[in-house]
Amino acid sequence: MATDASTVGDARAASLKKRARPVEMLIQGFLFVAAAISIVVTIGIVYELGKEALLFFQSEDVTLGEFFSSTTWQPAILDFGIWPLVIATVMVSVIAMLVALPVGLATAIYLSEYASERSRGILKPILEVLAGIPTVVYGYFALTFMTPLLRSILGDGVVEIFNDASAGIVVGILIVPLVSSMAEDALHAVPMSLREAAHALGATKLETSVRIVLPAALSGIAAAFVVAISRAIGETMVVAIAAGAGPKNFTLGEDSLFGHILNPFVAGETMTGHIVRISGGDLSYDSIDYNSIFAIGLTLFLITLVLNMLSRRFVARFREVYE
Amino acid sequence: MSLPGRATYPEGRELAQVVAGRHRRGTIFKLTFLAALMLAVIALLTLLLQVIDSSFGYVALQNEVQPRELVASLGYGEDVDLVDLSKADLVVLLQQTISNNVGRRLERDQRFFDDRLVFENESKYVELCAGAEPVPGCSATARDQPGVYQLVVERVVQPTVLQTWTLLESVFSRGDIHAEAAAEYPQADLVFRSWVSGRFLVSPQAPDPAVAGVRTAVLGSLWIVAITLLFSFPVGVGAAIYLEEYASDNRLNRLIQTNINNLAGVPSIIYGMLGLAIFVRALEGFSSGAFFGVGGAGATTNGRTIVAAGLTLGLLILPIIIINAQEAIRAVPRSLRQAGMALGATKWQTTRAHVLPSALPGILTGTILAVARALGETAPLVVVGASTFITTDPSGPFSKFTALPIQIYQWTSRPQDEFRNIAAAAIIVLLVMLLTLNATAVILRNRYARRV
Amino acid sequence: MRYSHRLAAVFAVVMLVASACGEGDSGNTTTTTGAQDTTTTASVDGMLPVVDPLDVTGDIVTAGSSTVFPLSEAMAARFEDEGYRGRITIDSIGSGAGFERFCEQGETDISNASRPVKDSEIESCRSIGREPIEFRVGTDALAVTVSPLNTFATDITFEELAVLFSTAVTWQDVRPDWPANPIQRFIPGTDSGTFDYFVEEIFDEDEAPILNAANLQLSEDDNVLVQGIEGDGCDPDDPATTCAVGFFGFAYYAENSDQLNVLSMEGVEPNEANVDAGAYPLARPLFIYSTADLMKQKPQVADFINFYLTHVNEEIIDVGYFPAPPNALEAAEQAWLDAMS
Repeated sequence: MATDASTVGDARAASLKKRARPVEMLIQGFLFVAAAISIVVTIGIVYELGKEALLFFQSEDVTLGEFFSSTTWQPAILDFGIWPLVIATVMVSVIAMLVALPVGLATAIYLSEYASERSRGILKPILEVLAGIPTVVYGYFALTFMTPLLRSILGDGVVEIFNDASAGIVVGILIVPLVSSMAEDALHAVPMSLREAAHALGATKLETSVRIVLPAALSGIAAAFVVAISRAIGETMVVAIAAGAGPKNFTLGEDSLFGHILNPFVAGETMTGHIVRISGGDLSYDSIDYNSIFAIGLTLFLITLVLNMLSRRFVARFREVYE
Repeated sequence: MSLPGRATYPEGRELAQVVAGRHRRGTIFKLTFLAALMLAVIALLTLLLQVIDSSFGYVALQNEVQPRELVASLGYGEDVDLVDLSKADLVVLLQQTISNNVGRRLERDQRFFDDRLVFENESKYVELCAGAEPVPGCSATARDQPGVYQLVVERVVQPTVLQTWTLLESVFSRGDIHAEAAAEYPQADLVFRSWVSGRFLVSPQAPDPAVAGVRTAVLGSLWIVAITLLFSFPVGVGAAIYLEEYASDNRLNRLIQTNINNLAGVPSIIYGMLGLAIFVRALEGFSSGAFFGVGGAGATTNGRTIVAAGLTLGLLILPIIIINAQEAIRAVPRSLRQAGMALGATKWQTTRAHVLPSALPGILTGTILAVARALGETAPLVVVGASTFITTDPSGPFSKFTALPIQIYQWTSRPQDEFRNIAAAAIIVLLVMLLTLNATAVILRNRYARRV
Repeated sequence: MRYSHRLAAVFAVVMLVASACGEGDSGNTTTTTGAQDTTTTASVDGMLPVVDPLDVTGDIVTAGSSTVFPLSEAMAARFEDEGYRGRITIDSIGSGAGFERFCEQGETDISNASRPVKDSEIESCRSIGREPIEFRVGTDALAVTVSPLNTFATDITFEELAVLFSTAVTWQDVRPDWPANPIQRFIPGTDSGTFDYFVEEIFDEDEAPILNAANLQLSEDDNVLVQGIEGDGCDPDDPATTCAVGFFGFAYYAENSDQLNVLSMEGVEPNEANVDAGAYPLARPLFIYSTADLMKQKPQVADFINFYLTHVNEEIIDVGYFPAPPNALEAAEQAWLDAMS
């Protein structure tokens, strides 16, 4: 009896082993290739940008030192300091995050924990429409609605007609659905057993949501934040239209820190805005101004890389895994 | 749950007070969360309102030539209207106005009469119809009177838009508008017009905003989104499955992960440059269709086609899909996978049959957000080679193309006011397209979103 | 206005044809008499052979300036309306990118430009075997505008313009009898042909003075410049308010002429008569470029350029620009004839 069972068992085990492997390996191979495509893309981007950026730095009108230390960006008169563009980019992104993160997260918590399934099913797609409005529309919205609004609140003298604040707020609105939808998915996926356990122990809905569910979904929420920040930094059209076409040049020591350099209510072209403007303009493709956009692109790429590596370390520390 | 600063648990009335306090706080925060949601919805409504405001409203329409004069010129009296004239009379009016070339072209597209030609020469027409590629007019039925009347209105009467007003103005300041129109444009009619119309959807581009339409742009956008999804959905979900299920935690895989997060932040125009270098130039044989034998003589086969644009946008949205799919797969409880394994399923079988369906809602969210992004992008398409003016519909993935966002951007930068109206109409068309595309995903997502 | 122009022109042609109709073949155009001859007789204005779009097939690829785009669009749409059955595409990507496609990649048949081709670009073209031919097709006038509340500034000289857009802080610094309101400047971005042309004419190609001016707002989009100037809140009696000034393409002023005031340049107003006569000084040329080889190898390109040069003056006013000076247009037509021989 025992021998019969064991031989039957061995035969079945052997046939199972033989059957599944090739397909599994094939699938695993395909999936690896899919993941590896991203590496190819990065290599492609760095190569394309680096090739032209090299041409830019090899020209006698610009040096690497000037690029990273000068505070004036005016290619028409051969000033190539990246800082005005970087500061504008950072400012727009920070303002966008200040708008999008609280609003997005709060919306996500409401939709996931408080709203009924039916209203969630309706409200979530409605918010996702916000993500689909063309960025050109957002740009004009910033110019024709947000800027007059800011000017009426803070005064015409304080807020210029092109400014980073309007662009930042509108980019924030653009990003809200990214944060809310992704965070909401993460919250929604937390098993009910956790919530039920908290309720069983006497916690209110707020306490459950904020102290139990939110930390459990932190990985997904962090991913939402990462995508949102990346989008804010990389946004082109809104800033091209609403933040003006002039870089916010300054001189350290001469211009006031909060009155000019870090003032979000004055015009300040961002890195992405500059790239879009020059690539669509009438300048000759041979000119140094045109080649500078590749150097800017490469710098932006490196900045987001550093940001991502830092945020990975940060998130890994707070991630919790439940079952 | 511990309470700060207390060694023992409260009892009795104190307990009731503390609990009441916690509930109060809960209500306040609930209202705050609701307020945030409302803020987002209000922002959306304000945006939509601006767009809708420009898409409808009064227009002052003035005819270049009054229908009454045309009727009189043919010798009819006051009691006959232009629309009642016979086809023959209407054709006479056309002959007096349009150039010969235009008339011949119209006749080649569709004849006016079955028995005689008006503009074209008899022998030339016979020659055209007998040739290898007969013109459409050879086989189509002759134009009917309503069709010819339309032509007369378009080309002889020529209603011209002199001034437009927004929807809010038209609703709330009707009296003022009527007064202004009477004073400044006494010859014009005041008509309430919807710039979004069937005609707008099926007409190709034109330099005159009153007749321009978005047909080529809509078709171009649809083709591009189709190719984008066809490429990035399998690749994105596949990459996510690999990273979550199969990849061990080694340097390479961590690099891939950081890499993907980083790619989400690259500005779209840089993807355009990458797409130009790879799909348009390096892979020109593939993207122009030459590889597949597509593209006839006289056609410009280069790589600036829908395929190149679709793949470029596919690369752009790939990180969004991967990150969302990853999070969705990660959120599936391990117990589900272990149950599958315990029953003897292989890794792929477990993933396919249990993990993916559970993760589907999250994956679909990523797809929805990605499609929204792809549909609204302008800069990378311009770099890859979207045309700004093209009147032939795309015949396949290897055609030259244009897209809705490009039309919108072009029209908003023109000085004439009417272009802003049709830009707004095009935006509405884009949003409706987006909602339709996303509807399937949303329905699927709602159906699969069970709580575990 | 555009259609009555066309109406008049077509009536003239039809009259001429009708008069020639009964007698056989003497006439200028041949379409309604039935003969197929379309290339050997002269056009209405005399120089170029007549093109019948109905006989033109094959694709045409063009790209370039976004300023020239509306004009090329109008011509292409008319070409198609009159029977062209091939496919013509126009990409609005900027003069620089247009020349890159034309001279480096060799992808386009016609390049639209709102500035003349640069020497380095001609070199590139030659290195791929292309010798660019310039065709002047129109003129874009620059309008220097102020808000309607600005009642004191109505005309300006070149020297004052240079001061206005560089070192002056208040309007009084430009002209002593103007009030002391501070100046707010709205100008196109440094990548735009309009900016280039302005600097070339007013600052003799030196970009530093204007870029270092105070209170400077640059924008990619001329519509936005218009809005900036319209809403400046200028009050000549209150020196605390800023009064704005800016420059952009004339079409943008024409569309908003109730909300803007334009300054006369050296006493010359920007209007059709003055631009046509060459009297208005700030008028920049618009071009299209092609090569003789392309025109011969792809006859549809030659036909389209012919059609363009023949009919451009009928459409250009509606688009918002001004006709090229008659001798420039003639030179373009001559260049066409030379290329085809």
